[in-house]
Amino acid sequence: MVDFSLTPDQESLRDLARKFARGEMAPHAAECDKTSRFPEEIYRKAHEVGLMNLNVPTEFGGSGLGLFEQCLIVEELAYACGGMTTSIIANCLALEPILLGATPEQQRRWLAPFCAEYHLASFCLTEPSGGSDAGALRTRARKDGDGYVLDGEKCFITNAPNASLYTVFATLDPELRTKGITAFVVPREAKGVTAGKDEEKMGHRASSTGTVRFEGVRVPAADRIGAEGEGFSIAMRTLDQTRTPIGALATGIAQAALDLAAGYALKRVTFGKPIAEHEAIQIKLANMAQAVRAARLLTWNSAWTIDAGGRGTLESSIAKCFASDAALHVADEAIQTFGGYGYMKEYPVEKLLRDAKLTQIYEGANEIQRTVIARELLRGYA
Amino acid sequence: MQIVVAVKPVPEAETRLRVGAGGTSFDPEGVKFVLAGYDESAVEQALLLRDAIPGSSVHAISVGPATRTEEVLRASLALGCDRATWVETPAGTPLDPLAVARSLAGALGSPPPDLVLCGKQAGDDEAGLVPAALGELLGVPDFGFAVNLRWDAGRSRFSLDRPTEGGLERWETPTPCVIGLQQAWNDPRTAKLPNILKSRKAPIAKAPAAADPGPGGVPEKFELPAPRTGARMIDYKTPEEAAQKLVKLLREEAKVFP
Repeated sequence: MVDFSLTPDQESLRDLARKFARGEMAPHAAECDKTSRFPEEIYRKAHEVGLMNLNVPTEFGGSGLGLFEQCLIVEELAYACGGMTTSIIANCLALEPILLGATPEQQRRWLAPFCAEYHLASFCLTEPSGGSDAGALRTRARKDGDGYVLDGEKCFITNAPNASLYTVFATLDPELRTKGITAFVVPREAKGVTAGKDEEKMGHRASSTGTVRFEGVRVPAADRIGAEGEGFSIAMRTLDQTRTPIGALATGIAQAALDLAAGYALKRVTFGKPIAEHEAIQIKLANMAQAVRAARLLTWNSAWTIDAGGRGTLESSIAKCFASDAALHVADEAIQTFGGYGYMKEYPVEKLLRDAKLTQIYEGANEIQRTVIARELLRGYA
Repeated sequence: MQIVVAVKPVPEAETRLRVGAGGTSFDPEGVKFVLAGYDESAVEQALLLRDAIPGSSVHAISVGPATRTEEVLRASLALGCDRATWVETPAGTPLDPLAVARSLAGALGSPPPDLVLCGKQAGDDEAGLVPAALGELLGVPDFGFAVNLRWDAGRSRFSLDRPTEGGLERWETPTPCVIGLQQAWNDPRTAKLPNILKSRKAPIAKAPAAADPGPGGVPEKFELPAPRTGARMIDYKTPEEAAQKLVKLLREEAKVFP
């Protein structure tokens, strides 16, 4: 029978994340948003309590959680601050290529020391000339003796200004398109690596985002992930794994918006009664609640599918796309419920709209998700 | 040193309680139970003492029904307690403080452990009676409302302070003893994710409840506080006007001034 209840284990993980989110993150969310501060002390604590490298097996010092448990945690964290959550879970994205494509020896060499202490890693795929068209990337990897030399630039890279390790996708020959793409692990201190400044962003301002430039960076063959030309497949399989938690992140933002709107609607009085008693607001809240629940259930469905061994390409694209659209809509309606106050930065709802917006763009823009959904869907009819 | 910490599951602080079917307690349906706040400080103190005194261990114990009692014991294990014992009582049985103390005394056996720590009172009924009753039943010194607990290894004694009106009393006590701790003088740790997962699989010992719970009181009625009447906002343009209007209201309506 289908069962939507959580096990006691899952509840205790969710409780930990909730406690951390509300105790450690929420009190600093507004300040970090306002000043675009990267709260490293919070990220250190997240690592200390085990909320950072969620997908890395325990033998390498990670938390070794399934995708469903990761999603429970991510939703709770995002309820307090979407931007901080993006920086906390960026390691999961950056390390996933190593989990999927590296040899056991490489995994031990890279993951164990990395996870033992607080470290950040960045997933370097997107380039200034293209994000969604990942097959057209221009960063070059030229063979050079027993290794490679990387040249090129990556942009919009989460945590790049603060990371110590990069997983980098580069092409051996742009003519080969996707078949030339190869994945590498590059330490920040490698000669020729330059991380750019933290960009000014609309939302997720507690997270850092920047460029990473590679100029004649020598990478030994032992630091290549998978085979030559396997990089595109590793990148796509990585995103199949990490797309679902973005659905959870968006759900957390949406739930926060709903809770704030409902709480405000019960207190704010117009025409002699709380606005929650006006039908116009009730319809708003009812629609918001539907969107939040549907987002959560689609996210759970995707996580369950992947944990059960499925690839989950269709399910995760649906979850990410629906939940991020829902988050934007629910945050928008929360502002509308607050009226003029909602538009003021003194109140917490306008931040939710700015934070929600990014979830429609990163880890595969929703346009790409819809392309993928249609492709997977039509396959069943052909 | 054998350190025991007695813990109690209480409703989470933000819970909105409803009156239960019999009208003598709250309805536990849908209520989330957590480790009582003072007990969390007691666990923290137990762990600090264990780490400071070589050869020590911390044993968490709790009396109550499934599953809330098991859950707070698992939470205690996740925080770092070495083992746990659950005195299971049937769901719905009122837990009189003396009955709880008798069950604890029975499960802890004889001779008593060197130190039993409790929160000074639980966040639900706030009775604060278990530490005193347990001390009496075990025949050892007991102290409630204690802060600044310190172990003097040279003299094999604990010293502690008790806040009183305008000051602190300082006491010292030999072991074994029972101490009820005040909150907010240590900063309880957060359980780490791997320890939470380990605690889920850890064994929990069972002990029987006291055969004779003693002449406990029986709860007669449970009711929620009366809803607060609405606040009154004063319209004003200047602080002087606000103060004048407030004084007028306090004098003429609230009648707190003649």
